[in-house]
Amino acid sequence: MSIALRELRRRPGRFVVATAIMTLIAILLMFLGGLLDGLTKGNTGAFRAQRADFMVFSATSQDSLVRSRIDPAVRARAERAPGVTAVGGLGSLQIGSRVPGHGPRDLVPVVLFGYELAPRGLPARPPARGEAYADDVLRSEGVRAGTVIRLGPQRTPIRVIGFVNDTEYSGQPTLWGSLGNWRAAQDANRPGSRVGPGVTQALVVRGGTPEAIDRATGATHTLTVDGAIRKLPGVSQQESVFNQIIGVTVVIAVVVVALFFALITVERVALYGVLKAIGASSGTLFAGVLLQAVLVTLAAGAVGAAAALALDAVIPPGGIPFTTSAGRLLASVAFLLVAAVIGCAFSLRRVLRVDPAAAIGGAQ
Amino acid sequence: MFLALREVRRAKARFGLLTAAIALLVFLILTQQAIQNGLLTAFVGAIERQSAPVLVYSTDGERTLQGSVIAPPLERRIRAVPGVAAAGRIGQSTFTVRVDDREDSDAAMIGYDRADLGAPDELSAGRLPRAPGEAVGSAADFSLGDRVRLQAERAQGDAGRALRVVGLARDAQLQVTPTLFVAWPDYVAAVEAANPDVKKVLPSALGVRPAPGVSAAALVRRVNDASEDADALTRADAARKSPGVAQVRRSFQVIFLLYGLVAPLVTGLFFLIITFQKSAALTLLRAIGARSAVLVRSLLVQVLLVMAGGLALGVALYAPLSQMTLGSITLRFDPGAVLFWSVLLLVLGLLSAVVAARRVLQIDPIEATTGGGAR
Repeated sequence: MSIALRELRRRPGRFVVATAIMTLIAILLMFLGGLLDGLTKGNTGAFRAQRADFMVFSATSQDSLVRSRIDPAVRARAERAPGVTAVGGLGSLQIGSRVPGHGPRDLVPVVLFGYELAPRGLPARPPARGEAYADDVLRSEGVRAGTVIRLGPQRTPIRVIGFVNDTEYSGQPTLWGSLGNWRAAQDANRPGSRVGPGVTQALVVRGGTPEAIDRATGATHTLTVDGAIRKLPGVSQQESVFNQIIGVTVVIAVVVVALFFALITVERVALYGVLKAIGASSGTLFAGVLLQAVLVTLAAGAVGAAAALALDAVIPPGGIPFTTSAGRLLASVAFLLVAAVIGCAFSLRRVLRVDPAAAIGGAQ
Repeated sequence: MFLALREVRRAKARFGLLTAAIALLVFLILTQQAIQNGLLTAFVGAIERQSAPVLVYSTDGERTLQGSVIAPPLERRIRAVPGVAAAGRIGQSTFTVRVDDREDSDAAMIGYDRADLGAPDELSAGRLPRAPGEAVGSAADFSLGDRVRLQAERAQGDAGRALRVVGLARDAQLQVTPTLFVAWPDYVAAVEAANPDVKKVLPSALGVRPAPGVSAAALVRRVNDASEDADALTRADAARKSPGVAQVRRSFQVIFLLYGLVAPLVTGLFFLIITFQKSAALTLLRAIGARSAVLVRSLLVQVLLVMAGGLALGVALYAPLSQMTLGSITLRFDPGAVLFWSVLLLVLGLLSAVVAARRVLQIDPIEATTGGGAR
């Protein structure tokens, strides 16, 4: 073990290129993971913020919020379903908004939500007509408390009265107001999507069971909040594609480590022969190789994590949906460590095969 | 040449491992290129395929058909712009549908009131709708003769009118969703069935054709000058500047850049280590008269062999995968991408061997007699 550490200290140059490649792979893994997390966060915030057990959509909507319509009669039946303790309506409107200080064509896309059951970070009582809480992301567009944002072609005014965190939806910042607010903005700006009195897009429900709610209404499809998140367009597909790419990248890391340490082991065969001749076991020698691989990987992981954090800091809001988290960075390093151990295992056979006698006489 | 090939034959495992690493990288790069292209086509293919040379959204629509609404005053203003030869309404909504007896699915519907300003510009099979209830479907999702029912109509107790697919258009999806092109009256009927509260169905955009002598770009400028609420774009720009397209491109570019760096670094590292390991043998060869150029050539031949092998294997892995469909994304074998990445990686691979080649050139034959070459 001490020989392995000494070699790393005395001949760091030998490991620099391998560390550089592993660092690139670490950055790749962390970038891919950060991209996936950023996309997921930006798409699902509004649903993750719901403090409820279930979300109820109309049966023919394919669980799509914009296509779902719950009329007052269906809502009344959901409220009477066994075990249901609270029901709130939810409506959404994706629309361009005019923010003071922006040019006439420089619109900011937002999603206006109307709610009754307060999501995380919002007061139980929805804001008054013409007022809304804004997602933190809108600060980067110059929105402050008191700013009046004008929505859509009819310039429906909404005054921002406070901020809420991590509630983006479909990659866009959100505004949270009353259902009346939502209905008015929708009817004025999207006549093709206007809704009648009491109609909402979905229901947010506490208590009960999906089966009981759907049985009671006869016209809905109820999902847990997590289930509704999985049904958001693209969320599960994105996750699956990115995870496959991350998987193949880890395989490449395995091959790189295997290649590098196999070559180093070949180079050291004579040295290993001598060490074995003076009593070193194969296990000790392999442990040295493993230690070097782990240290190279940890160094690469540390540089990669620093690069990922730096990237997160310099990417402007709205540039690339990239976000870093301790969990993602640690998971990436863990993947690389597993890859390093597996990659090293390819050298094990060669270490075991070293014959001390042949090594001593090998020079002849 | 002889030395290079013999060494590769003798050390199959190590050269094989490097070739496998390069092949995996090539496979990943090409696959991601195919995913990027497929994703972008599935996002905005319908915009590229529709026939209007200029599309006019409302500024508030943020360059999406889903978000844009052209109110009657704006429509009148656009039609009156000098240089507009013809304008047609284009509407878009997404519905839950059932195709024949299959499971419910999503379908984006694009309605047009003039086939030359909104219908697909080219069909891969069948014909354009001629009668009510006929539709052109995206070729990846529909077949000729499919009967498509709107589920909203069924939910209202109505058996529902069925649209019949009479034509197919390749690469004509919108928002990664199966897409149908229908005549305007069918579109209006679908919107009204899905939302009984709707009072009047307005177009999402206008498809506009410039008058003779007016270019599409010039017409775009005129329309945009005429009203702050109009956002006119040429067909190509409407696809390219669609929200999310630039983001997807940027994200993939960063990924390509990183993979593009990893490939030559792995190759460079490998040949540098190999050269170090062989330094004693190379010194001896120099001492018995082998010229540096011969040794460097031998090194470059090995680099070429490994890169070519990796590229061939990577492309062989990519070829069957590129025929597949990922959800609604159709992947496609892209010869241009294969050529671009092959040339780039080959050049980068050869450049990466420069350090190893320099090491070969530095070998001093005299060290063969002093043992220095073994160091």
